[in-house]
Amino acid sequence: MDLRAFENRVMPVKNKLFRFALRLLDNAAEAEDVVQDVLIKVWNSRETMNQINNWEAWCMRLTKNLSLDRLRSQQRKATDSLMTGLEVKQEGMSPHEKTEIAESMQQVSELIASLPEKQRQVMHLRDVEGYSYNEICEILELDMSQVKISLFRARNTVREKLVKINAYGL
Amino acid sequence: MRMDSRIEQLLEKYWKCETSLEEEKELKDFFNSQEISDELKEPATLFKYFEYQKKQGVDEERLQKKLSSVVESDKRGKVVTMFFTIAKIAAGVVVLVAATYLVREEVRKSYPTEIADTYSDPELAFEETKKALMMISRGFGKAKQEAVKIKTFNEAEQIIQGNSEKEDSSKINI
Repeated sequence: MDLRAFENRVMPVKNKLFRFALRLLDNAAEAEDVVQDVLIKVWNSRETMNQINNWEAWCMRLTKNLSLDRLRSQQRKATDSLMTGLEVKQEGMSPHEKTEIAESMQQVSELIASLPEKQRQVMHLRDVEGYSYNEICEILELDMSQVKISLFRARNTVREKLVKINAYGL
Repeated sequence: MRMDSRIEQLLEKYWKCETSLEEEKELKDFFNSQEISDELKEPATLFKYFEYQKKQGVDEERLQKKLSSVVESDKRGKVVTMFFTIAKIAAGVVVLVAATYLVREEVRKSYPTEIADTYSDPELAFEETKKALMMISRGFGKAKQEAVKIKTFNEAEQIIQGNSEKEDSSKINI
């Protein structure tokens, strides 16, 4: 793998890596560091990259492992909210509508953040990034039944809580 | 309305985790493209959230800067490493050659040089030996001839000495 192949094949996934690291770390600066580390690792092991079947999943797995290492290694706290840098881009809306949408986004964000770690990871990979179940198994190093159960629980919890929020404004 | 029922159907499947990736894409597209009726407000928020999440990205410029410095230093590093490797090998060879030379000198000093076998063909060696011996024997032969001459001289000298003694004694006698 040369520089060209690296830029064409690996660089496009950097945002996926970043979002995944951000989901795990809750901190944009640290997520960025993880993405850098992953890409540097990929670059350094580019000679052996050809032997890897699904290197995108491989990169995601590396992102997960490096993020978890960071979580374990240091006493840290989430400084950035999940919604940082997230602009509500909807034209032709009144300020009131905009705040309303931002508010509901914030609610969903908190709701998902309250899910157990594994469920959050699976839901992110499936619903935000659109990975297949097989790929999620590979990334998270879980078997199919665990992935499906986690996703099922995550979606159901989210569904119930969304109904509650809308019904009672909680 | 027909669209809504299809979406409701998909949503039911979605909550049960029975949707395919394509169907989930369809849901996302639907909730992010149009006005959503109040009944579908809850899932709409969720799917909008997913879509917003996807807009987050890494700071391209900063990442590129960091990475290009790594890639560059990697290239330079390779040349330097190669140079050092070659230098190490060269130094090793030099030490080895010097050591061999010195040890050989030492060994030469402590052991007198043995006669080396210079001929590989035994017959040729025999011939050469014969030649050498012949040369020595010829030398001896010549020397013997010369020695005969010396003997004659000696005899002559003895005779002369004998005569002079006789003369002396005769002188005394006289």
